Amino acid sequence: MKIVGIAACTSGIAHTYIAKEKLVAAAKELGHEVNIETQGTIGTEDELTAQQIKDADVVIIAADIKVGGKERFRGKRVVEVPTHIAIKSPKALINKIESELNK
Amino acid sequence: MNAADVIRKDRVELSLKADTKEEALRELVDILYESGALTDKEGFLKDVLDRESVSTTGIGNGIAIPHGKSANVRETTVTIGRTKTPLGWESVDEKPVSLIVLLAVNENDKTNVHVKLLSQMARKLASEESCKRLLEAKTADEITAIFSE
Repeated sequence: MKIVGIAACTSGIAHTYIAKEKLVAAAKELGHEVNIETQGTIGTEDELTAQQIKDADVVIIAADIKVGGKERFRGKRVVEVPTHIAIKSPKALINKIESELNK
Repeated sequence: MNAADVIRKDRVELSLKADTKEEALRELVDILYESGALTDKEGFLKDVLDRESVSTTGIGNGIAIPHGKSANVRETTVTIGRTKTPLGWESVDEKPVSLIVLLAVNENDKTNVHVKLLSQMARKLASEESCKRLLEAKTADEITAIFSE
């Protein structure tokens, strides 16, 4: 799969970045392509490109707050979870999404 | 710059006496206050506890990353503590916590380089391998080195 996503948490200091790293590591291990944007205290980093979004099979939003720029994902399959799900079991999350997409 | 520039050895304590999460946070907040990072000790502790009440900061693998974005912080920084006794922390993997990385962020520091360094430290904690090594580290220097890689 090609995955894009956003990570964002309440304080924008810790969980945003841990969630991103966990999702990226799990996706790569499972053989997927992945790009995750972070929206934290220091602003947006690794901003998704239009091409990445266009090519993506699914969008994962791991966030505890409202994220910016959701309109970019119009027409896409979007899965929204709290950051702790991405931190706790990123592989299970991705596998579940994959099996849903293949239905 | 890397994490070594934001971790001060006098803010690393590898033998916290705490038996509970709140005691551990209190000890770490004391370390920050004694070393001049806070303007208001009790105020900052309350900010950290308020954050704890929103959702768990126990990120698994025996590690917690509590944090306060607060007006009571003079200097955006971090303190790291390891407890003798593993503590209950409602972690995502339900395991007890023995390494605590407490981030103190001045609420007006939006672009400060230290905030960025703290987020890089958080990234490091996503790796099980780094977590394992942090739990086994014997000195403050070893801990700093792991975060600086």
